[in-house]
Amino acid sequence: MIKVTDLTKKIGNIQALSSLSFSAEDGQITGLLGPNGAGKTTCLRTIFGLLKPDQGDASINGIDVASDPISAKQALGLFPDPFGIYERLTPREYICYFAELSGLSRSAAKNATTRVIGELQLEDIADRRCKGFSQGQRMKTALAQAIVHQPKNIVLDEPTRGLDVMSTRVLREMLRQLKEQGHCILFSSHVMQEVASLCDRVVVMADGKAVAIGSPQELCNRTNKTSLEEAFIALIGTDEGIAS
Amino acid sequence: MAVINKIWPMTTFVVILSWPVMLFSQALASGPEESKGFCYVDGLAERLRCGYVSVAEDPGKPNGRKIDVHYVVIPAVKPIYENEALLAIAGGPGQSAIDNAALFNSTFSKVRETRDILLIDQRGTGRSNLLSCPEDTALSPLMVDERAFNVLAETKKCLDALNADVAMYNSTIALNDFEAVRQALGYKKLHLYGISYGSRMAQLYMRHYGDSLATVTLDGVVPMQIPVIAVGLSVDRALAGLLKDCAEDVGCADKFPNLTVTLDSINSQLENQPIVVNTFHPVTGDPTEFFLTRDKLLSILRLSMYSTTTRSLLPLAIHHASLGNYQALLGLYSLMMEGIDLAAGMHNSVVCAEDIQRVNSTLLGEISASYMADTLYQALIKACSVWPSHATNPEFSNPISSAVPTLLLSGELDPATPPDWGTMAMKKMTNAVHFIAPYATHGVASQSCGNELIAQLIDTANIQTLNNDCLDEDQSTGFYLNGSSAQMLPNNLLKEGSL
Amino acid sequence: MNSRLTSLVRKELIDAIRDKRSVMAGLYYALLTPIILAMVFSAVISKATSPEDITIEITNGPEASHLVKHLRAKGIQHSDNSTSRKPITLVIGQDYAAQINRSEPADITLIADYSDDNLRSSIRRTENALRSYSSQIASLRLITRGIKPSIINPLKINLQDQATSDSKGGQLLGMIVLMIVLSVFVSGMNLAIDTSAGERERNSLALLLSHPISIRQLVVSKIIAVSVFGLLGLLLVMLISRFVYPLVPWEELGFSVEITYGFMLIALVISTFVAVFAASMQLFVSFMAKSFKEAQTYITFVMFVPMVMSYATTLDFAVEELRWAPVSGQLQALIDIMKGKDIPLLQLTVSCLSTLGASVALALGMERMLKSEKIVFGL
Repeated sequence: MIKVTDLTKKIGNIQALSSLSFSAEDGQITGLLGPNGAGKTTCLRTIFGLLKPDQGDASINGIDVASDPISAKQALGLFPDPFGIYERLTPREYICYFAELSGLSRSAAKNATTRVIGELQLEDIADRRCKGFSQGQRMKTALAQAIVHQPKNIVLDEPTRGLDVMSTRVLREMLRQLKEQGHCILFSSHVMQEVASLCDRVVVMADGKAVAIGSPQELCNRTNKTSLEEAFIALIGTDEGIAS
Repeated sequence: MAVINKIWPMTTFVVILSWPVMLFSQALASGPEESKGFCYVDGLAERLRCGYVSVAEDPGKPNGRKIDVHYVVIPAVKPIYENEALLAIAGGPGQSAIDNAALFNSTFSKVRETRDILLIDQRGTGRSNLLSCPEDTALSPLMVDERAFNVLAETKKCLDALNADVAMYNSTIALNDFEAVRQALGYKKLHLYGISYGSRMAQLYMRHYGDSLATVTLDGVVPMQIPVIAVGLSVDRALAGLLKDCAEDVGCADKFPNLTVTLDSINSQLENQPIVVNTFHPVTGDPTEFFLTRDKLLSILRLSMYSTTTRSLLPLAIHHASLGNYQALLGLYSLMMEGIDLAAGMHNSVVCAEDIQRVNSTLLGEISASYMADTLYQALIKACSVWPSHATNPEFSNPISSAVPTLLLSGELDPATPPDWGTMAMKKMTNAVHFIAPYATHGVASQSCGNELIAQLIDTANIQTLNNDCLDEDQSTGFYLNGSSAQMLPNNLLKEGSL
Repeated sequence: MNSRLTSLVRKELIDAIRDKRSVMAGLYYALLTPIILAMVFSAVISKATSPEDITIEITNGPEASHLVKHLRAKGIQHSDNSTSRKPITLVIGQDYAAQINRSEPADITLIADYSDDNLRSSIRRTENALRSYSSQIASLRLITRGIKPSIINPLKINLQDQATSDSKGGQLLGMIVLMIVLSVFVSGMNLAIDTSAGERERNSLALLLSHPISIRQLVVSKIIAVSVFGLLGLLLVMLISRFVYPLVPWEELGFSVEITYGFMLIALVISTFVAVFAASMQLFVSFMAKSFKEAQTYITFVMFVPMVMSYATTLDFAVEELRWAPVSGQLQALIDIMKGKDIPLLQLTVSCLSTLGASVALALGMERMLKSEKIVFGL
């Protein structure tokens, strides 16, 4: 479970987060929906302890990120944007490396890597260097990296950005599986469709604040709109910076 | 420098084969200051590796008295051949190889680029239990009368002063010291260079420890078949050559005609009565007498012929003397009157054991016919009559049989070891070549390109590829026609002068 | 904790070895520097040493036939071919023969460009040959007048040179050691940039920091990786030097250059401190840069400092204090060892400790930097 409480962060002159509070539950997919510049990435970075909030806190499975970052991060998997692939490593090396960094022993990391490669059907590219990989292959590699150590919580930053249709479908399928396995999944997106089709809960963000939190249906109900898109416009007053 | 000791004037003749004869004597070496195995020797600024090997004085008594045989290694600049060294053996007998380090270093600079040069003071010389004889400094060498010199008494006096079993200082015993030093230093192979008497040591090395040798160079060769006393005869040959050269030289023949007659007359004059010259000391400038005897004249002639430079002054000096001007002779004598650092005791130990008894009747006949040779022989007979020694066995005189690549060098003008001695030495050598340098005197290595040939031999170990053309180049000074230079005036100037 | 460090270092090294640019940077230096230096030195030596035989122009030679003969014996001859001979002219005076026959100073003129490096040794040789001829005549003139020639040398100056054949190389040896030690800086340089500025440019830095590792581990692992690369470059440069330098005819200058395995071992140990310092410094600077390109510029500037410091130690007028300073201290110690002197233990210890201190300070600085949001995200 990921929980943020009263997060406030100022970057330069911009109030990136102001009193942001929400939680993402296990066995659920939680979407952070908001236009560009709403503070989604800042929020995720704060969850990983990369940014220090001016106020408030984030906790993973009840562990405060600020006071025990190592333990907190051990229970997290990150699917970053951009992917941060090491082009000179093979997916196997890449995945195994991050597995080890997440605390697995070398042999455990190797086994976990083999397993995740199987799950994501990466066998045919597993031992080729990443240089020249297609966006889909990169996505799979990055995803494998995020879940190799089987973290309870998985955070995805704009996961479908730049992906082709097939890759997006694979990703969605994977996320549903993970949800069924009881993982807590939090992802940020500015794509309405994606959020609508995947998420159990949506946190609508604007100007660093959570404007509304609820299932897509609840949000529609609350705003008396039939589609999430319209509900969204009603919530934040504009659809600028958001994709349908 | 060679010869003539203050009190040991007879060494003029006793010293048989000194080398090198350097014209302008460098002061002789102070002992190496050994510390941490490093030392310096005279004339070389570099740090050298020094040390000694303790050996039994009497090889028959391994637990008896020990003597230290000192060596110096002039280290290779770039030691590519760490297991090899050039062992340079000095002449005399009685000269110290270490004292001549500077000369060996400059002569063999090319060899030294890649190989160590090893110098050993042979037992009885230099730093290895020196057998020198006490000097009497009371009498000026300018005034000494050689005829009054009592060889027997002086030899006994010398013997009494020595603390050594002098019979143990011959070549054969000393050879084992060389091999002991080689082993102690860990050289697998040695290249030998033996000059003058050193060539005898080199030949003995070939005979007894041929397996330790990579190449051998014999320079100014004394063949095993010949006792060194025969050098007295070579002086006459060299002197004849000098007179002939002058007669064939345009300037010399013109300026000094009938030089042979002139020299003969001076000789006979001195034979009757030495000449007393009132002059000034060549070093201090103080007024002094110069007591010119026939012996002195002969040593001046003989020793001046060791170097082409001093040789070039001889016709002028003889000519001046016939006119009553003895300054040139005095100047030449000044070069030799200080004597050399030659171990007279060691000299006797070698000559008395290996040479005196090998003079047979044929040789004796030739010796008796030569004033120079006879004077030398008579002195040695007396010295050896009291000098303890063990005569060598007859096999000692056998020529050396060897297949080691060997270069023999002789100088046509050599006043000590004539070229046919080299031919005699290589009689049974199967891998040897003999070069005669037409313009060289004693010790070809330090004249002309002899040292380059040696460096080439050491590098290739092949005598076939050696080319002696470069030895044929005339590098001599030319006879001095006046007290200014050997340079003749061009013809037009000569004519003007004659007008 | 330790296994994470191992993983980090392992990955950095695998990544680096597969990076052609990083490897080539080290490789080029290691391969080319000794070869180029050897070629330069060979050229310098052949310039500095005169060939066996030289030809010059001698005018009015017949006037001084004996002098010409003497020069020929010393390998100096007249040639009519003005293209092949050295531009040195020896003019024999018109009255030479007459003068020398009257024991008057005989005129000889040696004409050449004395500032020409190519000619210097040939000029010196000609001068020496003339001088030896002159002194030979002087000696013989004294002899004919009944005077011992040695009296004109009132002083007998004995020189005792404490140099070993290794130490004679002096400045050249300093240069060789400098080039060897600089390989530590050069070989790791590209990796340092790639693993810091490059890491950020490729967006993997944030991903790394999102994992449960401490920043200290990250910094240490990068320092180790870059140092190892530097030391590998050093090893390679020494191995190649070991085989290339013996081909240079040093012996013609009277010394030798030999890189023994013993020296290599000591150099590796001593240079480890330098390598850690170089790595820390280069990483520190690269992390400050916003891009790969910027980092390259910064590093070039920063490299200048140790290079100048090291080079200064090889100069004759180097300040004694440099022997105690980081980098230059180790360099000086290595030069001493190369020259066969004793290891200056105290100076070496001090400079190693100060090097280590500087490295730790830089590492701590880096750790602070990576905790800063501004540096990591370039905010």
